[in-house]
Amino acid sequence: MLDARTWLAWALTVLVAASLARNPLYGLLLLFITWVVYALCSSQQSRSAAFSPVRLALWMILFAIIFNGLTVHLGDTVLFRLPAWLPLLGGTITLEALIYGVTNGLALAAILSGFATINRVIPLRDLVQVTPRAFHEAGVVLSIALTFIPQTTRSLTRIREAQAVRGHRLRGLRDWLPIVVPLLVNGLERSMGLAEAMVARGYGATADQAHPRRLQALLSLGLLMLLGGWGSRLFFPTWRWPASLLMLGGAALVIIAAWLTGRTVQRTSYRPHRWTVWDGLALAGCALTLAVVVLPLPGLERASLGYSPYPRATLPAFDIWIGLGLLGLLAPAASLFGEPSYDRDHASDVHVS
Amino acid sequence: MMLRRAISGSIYVLSGAIGFLAFLYPFFTPLQGQSSMVTGHSQDAPIVTVALVALSLIALLIELQGQAISAKTVAMLGVLVAITSVLRFIEVVIPAPGGFSPVFAPVILVGYVFGGRFGFLMGTFTLLASALVTGGVGPWLPYQMYAAGWVGMSAGWLGWLVRRGPKRHGDAGRTMVRGLEVLLLCVLGFIWGLLFGAIMNIFFWPLATGPADQTWSAGTGLVETLSRYGVFYLATSLGWDLVRAVGNAALILLLGAPVVRALMRFRQRFQFEAIPDA
Repeated sequence: MLDARTWLAWALTVLVAASLARNPLYGLLLLFITWVVYALCSSQQSRSAAFSPVRLALWMILFAIIFNGLTVHLGDTVLFRLPAWLPLLGGTITLEALIYGVTNGLALAAILSGFATINRVIPLRDLVQVTPRAFHEAGVVLSIALTFIPQTTRSLTRIREAQAVRGHRLRGLRDWLPIVVPLLVNGLERSMGLAEAMVARGYGATADQAHPRRLQALLSLGLLMLLGGWGSRLFFPTWRWPASLLMLGGAALVIIAAWLTGRTVQRTSYRPHRWTVWDGLALAGCALTLAVVVLPLPGLERASLGYSPYPRATLPAFDIWIGLGLLGLLAPAASLFGEPSYDRDHASDVHVS
Repeated sequence: MMLRRAISGSIYVLSGAIGFLAFLYPFFTPLQGQSSMVTGHSQDAPIVTVALVALSLIALLIELQGQAISAKTVAMLGVLVAITSVLRFIEVVIPAPGGFSPVFAPVILVGYVFGGRFGFLMGTFTLLASALVTGGVGPWLPYQMYAAGWVGMSAGWLGWLVRRGPKRHGDAGRTMVRGLEVLLLCVLGFIWGLLFGAIMNIFFWPLATGPADQTWSAGTGLVETLSRYGVFYLATSLGWDLVRAVGNAALILLLGAPVVRALMRFRQRFQFEAIPDA
């Protein structure tokens, strides 16, 4: 099974590739790749429980075609006309506008499918574990919340059943009152017990102190540099490079502050995940894809990354090397060769009952 | 102590200003007029703003959790986030009409009772935890977390203003909720119902395609950009967001008073602390 960080890098690569390759042929290829990875890497249980990314993508493309087709009245190939008195919709409906809708829909569908895939393949505990050490308290809050969700759901069912026995029926918003208030009070009572248990086990005994002033000053300075750089980029376009450097400096200070905060936190992990050769392979695949869509490599027809059907639709260009580079995103599927079938079927079970 | 408070305040102000500029950058870029620099800037601006929002959220979270969060706060926040996430889970399983979501009312009520800092954390973590359980993790998540944090924080400010307002006899330690408070919370819920949609739209509006009078392009001027966004919002989102706004107000109107009463009772219990003699 791949590391959660590898999956996050994969989803971000899908995002960058789909944003930059605005050609329907590449969009279709990216969508196909995300579907293949989803079908191979997610477990049978999560596939049956989840809203399928295939269905999601089809809805997305259909919506983009209808929206663009009805609201954009550009292009030479007129299919039909809507009455001019219809606000926003009135005018010519063209083939070019529909094709542009397909291009946008494919890019959006590929991005959503990529993130739908990682939502299904990364177990919740792995996602919580990748929380940086600087956000220790945030990680504890998140762990408590995720642990209490199933309990709260059971509590909700119990309260509803108890109220139903008393003759209570849910007919409108007002009828939720006898359910919401006991649910809230019940949950807060449990949180009191939990807080006492945490204190009894020593939570906050050593770390219950505010950050040093130097760290706060570092954060404040970092934010000031970010704000100054961003403001300069917005209002003084000729200062682009100094402003970008200022922003990079600000980002570095915020990251250093986060790192210094994390250093004070000691965290142990039960059964830590080991970095495997399959993680390396998946990252290499992502790097290959990023290289073909971002870098000006010789021999690539970079103009084919963009496509405009206006004013008259033509066949979009397709560079075989860029296409092969996009196939690098299939690399996570190769990890299936390295794990037993039992692990694969139980890898991403999420229990919310 | 004063210096610490001043630095802490500067972190809040600066991260708020960065978030504000990052969300609203489409309205500022046209100020310089048409040039090749503007075109180049407009291409990388969406990626830069995602990074800016993430960095200012990181800074704000470090500052917020650095103020010595007690075990009681951590436990209560975790449980309240769990309860609200269950509501979002129900919303996903049984889709509600339009943009209605039962998530915002609890964030507003909790922020109102426990203050701006707790409200910000409640909004941020609720969106994060519910995204994890409903499969909603994506590039939009930092924006949603930030905007929901603002919802909770503004409710905390409202609570602070109300508590500083004219006092009545017996107000000290009260758990009663006045009608005016519920009304103010309803108005806040309604405003955020519309504002949340309008803010989240700006995140993807520069990337959207459509008719020329609804799409963003660099160098068209502030007034023209506002007018285009107005038309885009009216055409695509107003109806959807109105359902959310009315839903928020209705939920707070019907459930607000008893929920705030229950939260106030627990606030008194959670703030109780036994300090041993030195």
